[in-house]
Amino acid sequence: MKSLIKQKEFSIFAIIVLLCIVLSFVSPVFLTVGNFLDIMEGNVVMAILAIGMTLIIITSDIDVSVAAVTTAVAVTIGSLFGHLPNSWVSVLLIFLIAPLVGLIIGCVNGLLVSRIKIPAIVVTLGTLNIINGLVLYFTNGQYLNSSNLPAAFISFANYELLGIPILIYLLTVVAVLTWYILKHTLIGRSVLAIGGKSQSAVRVGIDEKKIKMFVFAYMGFLAGVAAIAQTAYTKAVDPNGMLGLEMMVIAAVVLGGTNIQGGRGTIQGTLLGVLLLAIIENGMILAHIDTFWQKVVTGAIIVFAISYDRISYKRQQAKLTKIEVEA
Amino acid sequence: MKLSKESLLGLIAVGTIILMSFIAPGFLSSNNIDNFLFQLPEFGLLALGMMVVIITGGIDLSITYTAALSGVGVALMLTNGQPILLAIVVGISFGLLCGAFNGFIVSKIGVSPILVTLGTMVLFEGIILAITKGQSISGFGETYNLIGNGYYMGLFPLSIIIFVFFIVLTAILLNKTNWGRSVYMLGNNEIATLFSGVKNSRVLMKVYLYAGLLAAISAIIMTSRYNSVKVDLGSSYMLQSVAAAVLGGTNIQGGYGKVMGTVYAVVIFQTISNGLNLLGVHRAIVDVFFGAVLILVLTVNFFSDKWKKNKETKAVA
Amino acid sequence: MSESILQMTNISKTFPGVKALDDVQLDIRKGEVHALIGENGAGKSTLIKILAGVYTPDPGAKFFFEGKEAEIKKPLDATMKGISIIYQDLSLFPNLTVAENIYIGRDSDKKAWTKVKWKEIKKIAVKALQDMEVDIDPNVPVEQLSIAQQQLVEIARAIAFDAKLIVMDEPTSSLSEGEVEKLYKIIEKLKSRGISVIFISHKLKELFKVSDRFTVLRDGKYIGTYEAADMDEPKLIQLMVGRNVTYEKNESTVQVGETIFKVDSLSKKGNFADISLEVKKGEVLGITGLVGSGRTELAQAIFGVNNPDEGSLELNGEKITVNSASDAVKKGIAYIPEARQTQGLVLEQSVINNMSLPVLKKLRNKLKLIDSKLEVSLAEQYVKSLDIRPALPKLPASNLSGGNQQKIVIGKWLATQPKVIIFDEPTNGIDIGAKTEIHKLIRRLANDGIGVIVISSELPEILAVSDRILVMRHGRISGELSVQEATQEKIMSFALQGQGSAKTPVVNTESGQVSQEV
Repeated sequence: MKSLIKQKEFSIFAIIVLLCIVLSFVSPVFLTVGNFLDIMEGNVVMAILAIGMTLIIITSDIDVSVAAVTTAVAVTIGSLFGHLPNSWVSVLLIFLIAPLVGLIIGCVNGLLVSRIKIPAIVVTLGTLNIINGLVLYFTNGQYLNSSNLPAAFISFANYELLGIPILIYLLTVVAVLTWYILKHTLIGRSVLAIGGKSQSAVRVGIDEKKIKMFVFAYMGFLAGVAAIAQTAYTKAVDPNGMLGLEMMVIAAVVLGGTNIQGGRGTIQGTLLGVLLLAIIENGMILAHIDTFWQKVVTGAIIVFAISYDRISYKRQQAKLTKIEVEA
Repeated sequence: MKLSKESLLGLIAVGTIILMSFIAPGFLSSNNIDNFLFQLPEFGLLALGMMVVIITGGIDLSITYTAALSGVGVALMLTNGQPILLAIVVGISFGLLCGAFNGFIVSKIGVSPILVTLGTMVLFEGIILAITKGQSISGFGETYNLIGNGYYMGLFPLSIIIFVFFIVLTAILLNKTNWGRSVYMLGNNEIATLFSGVKNSRVLMKVYLYAGLLAAISAIIMTSRYNSVKVDLGSSYMLQSVAAAVLGGTNIQGGYGKVMGTVYAVVIFQTISNGLNLLGVHRAIVDVFFGAVLILVLTVNFFSDKWKKNKETKAVA
Repeated sequence: MSESILQMTNISKTFPGVKALDDVQLDIRKGEVHALIGENGAGKSTLIKILAGVYTPDPGAKFFFEGKEAEIKKPLDATMKGISIIYQDLSLFPNLTVAENIYIGRDSDKKAWTKVKWKEIKKIAVKALQDMEVDIDPNVPVEQLSIAQQQLVEIARAIAFDAKLIVMDEPTSSLSEGEVEKLYKIIEKLKSRGISVIFISHKLKELFKVSDRFTVLRDGKYIGTYEAADMDEPKLIQLMVGRNVTYEKNESTVQVGETIFKVDSLSKKGNFADISLEVKKGEVLGITGLVGSGRTELAQAIFGVNNPDEGSLELNGEKITVNSASDAVKKGIAYIPEARQTQGLVLEQSVINNMSLPVLKKLRNKLKLIDSKLEVSLAEQYVKSLDIRPALPKLPASNLSGGNQQKIVIGKWLATQPKVIIFDEPTNGIDIGAKTEIHKLIRRLANDGIGVIVISSELPEILAVSDRILVMRHGRISGELSVQEATQEKIMSFALQGQGSAKTPVVNTESGQVSQEV
């Protein structure tokens, strides 16, 4: 099976390479370092959210409230900046507060899924609506632009190290941290275990409720981090800026080889999934394809990816020999 | 005498109406009653479609975009000067096509409905955007606008009559036909149903087709009422229709759900949303309210189930 | 050796609607193999789950482990004390490697952020596997292993945990002969190290081979604990069922009519190969064989839910194609599945709805709507003729006992007026009284001219109901016997070695009469 996942990651990688070759003919701009850094920086938010979503999908749940949570935290940041002095301390403070706010919302989702046993799709649809409603109520849909943000934050947002934007470092930290958790900590292994077979997990003493709580809380935490990234990237707070992003996030995770049946998924795969979607989007822009078609392509890719995943799963099941028939 | 879940909901619906007529100014004004009645069918039809899908243990997250796509179909025909009947036929075919697409992937390929409809939700939205370029299409002519705004015999809103027709139809289909019975059986146990000679994939296909049909009918009423269509046509009804089905007693895991329960739940939601509106509550808060009700109902269900189980255990011991 | 490692007393467990265990006790000595036996539903698995910390017993239960009073409230408590449970369906993680599967659970009480020590995991796994002298690569995911290998991984896990007591629930049910022998050797090894084993199995012969003592449960009650040396199979059976029950071997000679149903060289890769059989009017055809010999797969292929690669079916002289259960129903083939609760019935739905499901098309009025009166009367008719109790067709099927549930399934298929009916383990988990009733019913159906196939792994049952017996082994028919010539020994020799083999296993016909799985 490991080889299959590897194959899956490899095939995404191959598609990406192929796409890059094609796109380099479509536009000479495509294969430039600048364009690639732009692509990466522009998708940091999606990547951070997709990393969190990977853990949730590994446990065979789903969270459609991620974009709403991120927006809620971003709006909170925006209004906090109105009260904070223009200093590095404020930026640091935001780095404490934003993940915390996200974490709290994530815990609410986690509590409802793990303790009250409401299906995750219903819980997160509910919180999605509640959060969007509250955000709309408090902001009246008003947009905060860079003039509303402290200069210290703007300079943080513009900071580059070795010519690479700070947000890419942020994503790297999140990715490495999550990879480490998933691969090398007890709780990460437990995430994979309950995804693999939750009945076994209960029997070997893994607390399923705790793990489910963790994945949703961690998702919330990352949504908080993503909110900082979003605010830094757009240098603005837009209450409607991320509507529907959750779909792209889920698409990226599924494309990256995480199986909704649970138990399988890697951070590397998810990052490749994000990259693939990002390159497609970038390529469509460079090829001057109407932006309205992008959703069609994304939707088609999601439908294709989940169908393909299911079909190959069924094939593989059918191959399993039930009985060794004598020759 | 013990009331059924559904009759209890009926009483609650009546209760909310009485409550609102006391606290919400102008709730009983003829203007507001008209408003109320004209808004009810579009939401009710979507909720019925959602309920049928939920009974099979699935969910249709693409239902409002199915509706919007049907609406776009109708709008394109009408604005190109095609006859109303043809426009309606095209609109309904769009809805059925969307349903067939969902149904195919769910029933033949076997992907979980959440994932399928998440994907098709984006896909349908994209198709609408590609067709409309994000603009709204409007101006469908007076006659067409009668569907959503007109009266039958000067008294009953036409759309309510359409709604009642589909309430009755859905009830008959679910309770009195092979298909309906199979929907419930399959919602509880797919394998045992398959092993009883039921063609599950056909049953599921028809479920998504029916949801597509109801979405299209709802779209016709909406487009007629608003005299325009945009990509977000009825999008706020997505969660509301899940909430209405669940509040109406439909089991989110499948196997149970009654038409009247959902209808009462729709009336309750509509009453509260209408009343809050009259009371000057921000629309966004009404949305918050729906989300909260959904979670609250399921939480209460959870604790009452637990309580019931405890009681049974004690009764034996 | 007489020192106790585990004592459980005053164990009761109440579920909604049932008292699964009523004041049960268990006493396990150090280094012994202790068999826990009882019929299906006697409460064995509930007791084990309480020992495992999965279920909490009713108040008043007492545990002593190694002489000290102990508390087992959650799975981890049991693990920490050195109690390992190997469930029949195993507790492995298919997506994780063998090494991680062996190690997992060990750190469950540690902080969530504890670093996983991969090197140590590998070392422990390799050592445990070496201890057992098995050759399994610790680096492959468990899903790539055979069931037997997976079971060994479970035992390795228990050894790695320094388990003092290992519970094995039906460990041999999916193993081949050779694998079973290997398992016995490993159990001997465990014993020699002073590890106690609780062994659950339906195979009485096997139990006598490995066990030192027996504890018998019946209907959730404790019957007694006995030394194996003082016990023999008939005595044990009597303790299990509470009375001396024997099935009569079917001695009747039936007037066999023309062929009703014919299967011609049916094959499916990885399931069965080259199966040909005939069912004649008036006779009951029995099919038996070891678990995993392809019986159920064959039955489901005939019924259209497991489509074969090759071969054909013939009904009353006409070739028929059955690609789905719906085809089967139309053609008049009925299948009563082994997994009654998951494949046979929609438990949440009423008896009426269950009974009418395959025949809904016939219950419609002119408007093509379901005629409720007709539907209810159909259900009532079968409730009455099959004596289903309670006789309340509106009740959900889940509220009825196992035997009555099986009668609902039978009723629903009789309603289709089948020409051929296949019973797959028809009396699995059903009490003796209902079993006899179902056997009589099977005979009656054959007399009525329906082609009847009965699949069973209970040899006494096969001998009691069949007129002709086919034995399957590794997906092929290995022998055919008329009931007159058939004995348990002959059947077993076909099931194990195939035709013409000289080596015949010893089966005690006298004693092998109840639920002895072959």
